[in-house]
Amino acid sequence: MTGRTRDARPVAAAPHMVWAVLFIIAPLIFVAVYSFRGADGGFSFENFAALGDYTDAFVRSASYSLIATVICLVIGYPLAYAISLCSPRTQRVLIMMVMLPMWINFLIRTYAIMKLLEDTGFINGTLQKIFGEDFELHMINTPGAVIFGMVYDYLPYMVLPIYTVLSKIDPKLGEAAADLGCSKVQTLFRVTLPLSVSGVVSGITMVFVPSISTFYISQKLGGGQYLLIGDAIETAFASTSTYSVGAAMSLVLMVIVLISTFIMNRFDKDSSKGGVVI
Amino acid sequence: MKKTSSRATVLSKSYSFLIYLLLYLPIFIMILFSFNESKSMTNFTGFSLRWYRELFSSGKAFEALKYSLIIALLSAVISTVIGTLAAYGIHYMRSKALRSTVTSVTNVPMMNPDIVTGISMLLLFAFVQVILGMQHSLLGFGTLLIAHITFNLPYVILSVLPKLRQMDPSLSEAARDLGCTPVQSFIKVELPFILPGILSGAVMAFTLSLDDFVISNFTIGNSFQTLPILIYSMTKREVTPDMNAICSIVFVVIFVLLLLSNLTGGDGSGRTAFAEKIRRHKKQIMIGVSALLTCVTVGIVFLFLFVPPPVEKTLNVYNWGEYISDGSDGSLDTIEAFEDWYLETYGEKVKVNYTTYPSNEDLYNKLSSGAAEYDVIFPSDYMVAKLRDEGMLEPLDFSLIDNYQYILDDFKGLFYDPGEQYSVPYTYGVIGLIYNSAKVPDGLVDGWGAMRSEELRGKILQVNNPRDAFGIAMYDLDIDVNTTDRAEWDRAYDYLAKQKSLVQSYVMDEVYNKMESGEAYVAAYYAGDFLFMYENNEDLAFCQPESTNFFIDAICIPKNPARDEDTYRIANIFINYLLSEEPAVADAEMICYASPNSLVINNGEYIEYMSEIHEDAMDILYPEDLDFKAEYDKYCYRLLDPETNRYMNNLWSRLKIESGEGEDFDPTNIIALSMLAVIIAAAVFFAVRRKRREKYYS
Repeated sequence: MTGRTRDARPVAAAPHMVWAVLFIIAPLIFVAVYSFRGADGGFSFENFAALGDYTDAFVRSASYSLIATVICLVIGYPLAYAISLCSPRTQRVLIMMVMLPMWINFLIRTYAIMKLLEDTGFINGTLQKIFGEDFELHMINTPGAVIFGMVYDYLPYMVLPIYTVLSKIDPKLGEAAADLGCSKVQTLFRVTLPLSVSGVVSGITMVFVPSISTFYISQKLGGGQYLLIGDAIETAFASTSTYSVGAAMSLVLMVIVLISTFIMNRFDKDSSKGGVVI
Repeated sequence: MKKTSSRATVLSKSYSFLIYLLLYLPIFIMILFSFNESKSMTNFTGFSLRWYRELFSSGKAFEALKYSLIIALLSAVISTVIGTLAAYGIHYMRSKALRSTVTSVTNVPMMNPDIVTGISMLLLFAFVQVILGMQHSLLGFGTLLIAHITFNLPYVILSVLPKLRQMDPSLSEAARDLGCTPVQSFIKVELPFILPGILSGAVMAFTLSLDDFVISNFTIGNSFQTLPILIYSMTKREVTPDMNAICSIVFVVIFVLLLLSNLTGGDGSGRTAFAEKIRRHKKQIMIGVSALLTCVTVGIVFLFLFVPPPVEKTLNVYNWGEYISDGSDGSLDTIEAFEDWYLETYGEKVKVNYTTYPSNEDLYNKLSSGAAEYDVIFPSDYMVAKLRDEGMLEPLDFSLIDNYQYILDDFKGLFYDPGEQYSVPYTYGVIGLIYNSAKVPDGLVDGWGAMRSEELRGKILQVNNPRDAFGIAMYDLDIDVNTTDRAEWDRAYDYLAKQKSLVQSYVMDEVYNKMESGEAYVAAYYAGDFLFMYENNEDLAFCQPESTNFFIDAICIPKNPARDEDTYRIANIFINYLLSEEPAVADAEMICYASPNSLVINNGEYIEYMSEIHEDAMDILYPEDLDFKAEYDKYCYRLLDPETNRYMNNLWSRLKIESGEGEDFDPTNIIALSMLAVIIAAAVFFAVRRKRREKYYS
């Protein structure tokens, strides 16, 4: 017992680490093995060479999901902020109401949006009753519809982590800022916003990742016209002949996602260090 | 001052209201239309509980819901325990490298596309199965639970970690200085503080698990179904309003539960009081938590022991969605009838485990990956040939299939099974053009040419699978659909690429809603499905082009070394039963495809039933002057050699990926680029400003 006792607390992560090795790392090794396996069964890069055909899908996925994430942030942050300003009881009801739509399966939700946006759908039906028979607002099978679907499906993932962080910020900090002459807006930008960066980072990750890899939404709301990388992977796995190309695509997608998450994590680290100073 | 703040409140309230409206509008519409008396999801024709009745009359949905809830609850509890401990451990890791390694690995399932997580786990389980030399597929309750826990973990950790980061580190230091062990300090100091994070993580894990379809699809096997899997298998054709009904029920139940827990739970004095309460009732809470954990553990043991239950003989039947008479609308429930009949005839109980698949390719993947075991399957002709070539089919025992004699000669000994050894035909059909006669000018739809008609721009539905889409192009171009000539395939590709800008969407099951509602005017699809649509929209008409595809779906028994003699015998008896008059007629009426069974087509009741659906139904399904064998030989899809098949799939992906010809420039890339530019500029700006300030302060 001389000197410092060894800190035993990190041991709590041990069960998770074992789990991660068995069920996260090991399966990924199989994906890697497949993506480097040529048609003859040996090691080969031919699957990656075949990815050139999928450039359009990669670019499309990246831009749609980026737009959807930004929209989610722009819509979601004010909502989380507005909720955090309510009384604790209202807060709980409101946050439950954010989570509630997630209880409806996304197959059904996406389908419901499709029914809403169609040329003969609910919105157009209502508009036609107001503006006459010939009125038609074409929404379905456009990039906008696909992005709307992403925003609709993943908005709760943005609101929840931001709210979680906001709700923990000591209200005294705001009071102090007000005492020191900050206006409400100044307090928001100089105190609240910097303190909530970790929530924003979580939110962005939680929206961006499922958006870039989604496959069902684009099929239903884009009419199969705007194939995303998720669709390409799904198709590759559904038809056995391109199994390896599918694995290669997933590897590339994983790398893209890893890089963007890495960048996001740096943001988090930087600001949590100097958060209050700004 | 007061004025601005109240104005801000109004503003924030109306803003929140708008967002909530956006979130809830589709759901409310769904609930509203679950009470609609017709199938339509656009016109409310009248209030009715019809879909709820249909839902309650089949136990399937509730069975699936039960499994969904069990899996969601178990995986949420387990992942919350492991995840909270992990977050705690990660937070106190000294080594930065270790911490970041663990967090990155943790985040992998969250960052990975679900589909990759699913596929990778499937590969792992298949590998383990081979290593252990197991004959039975590993996939089932256990693997599904493992998969769900795995993808829930990062979400739990991500919602607990921020809470830990916000905590003042001196608190736990103080606790330790005062003599707390790490365990004590965790329970007395950290746990109460991070509890909101844990709870939100647990709730999130529960919802994610309940909601998951993609990963489950690859790890569930065939012994049971969760709700999303059931929904997906039901969407082979369309989402019927009884799905709206079950989702509405789930929604309302959960809404009420959450509301109740909020009304009774808090006394309104807020979060600090909540934490205070927890501190005060620590002991009770600890007892409660450990009791809960014990219950869960016991529950898991119980489930592993009894799921799947050790029941009588089971027969695993794997069919297309809605491809058998299921007892709806007073029809015969073929599966139930077989079980009863078998019990009566042989005095033995047999349980038919009936699951469905969306495509031949899914069937093939499930079979070849060993992911699941089936005793009776229903592949299409070319798939029979493929399975037979690869030695994946078991020869049938025709001494047990007497009723094979009633199959018409036209359907015997065809290319996929020339020796009549492996298959019995189940249904057959033809692909043609379905069009809306009220919207399309007379005479416009008289052949495949309609699929490239400029007049119908944006109202055409193309089939969303490569074989049929290329097939249609080739029939129209007068190319042999089984050609191995690449130049011919390229010609067909050019045809489809040109067609792409005219096409409204590429569809399979969605064709129903889109044609019935008038959303689209013309679609290439199967004649049998046309009769279904006609029931809901009498403006629809069918046109059979001169050269077109005939297909046969057959019944086979896949090879499975683990299957015992008795199950093989029952499988043959089941096939024979399907060919006998009563079930065969019921199935043919339900499916609406043509039947190769003479007992069916000579059945007066059947003819009457079909004619009630559409006066020309019998002519459409069974054209009088059709020389089936000749037409089938000429136009059916044969098994493509692997090279050609790969070439076709590549062309198909290219078609789907590349922007259509003459399509407007897609502005989303520009928007995304400019957003990216703004984000980078802002990041640089703040970084520079901070550097400057740091300099100034120092």
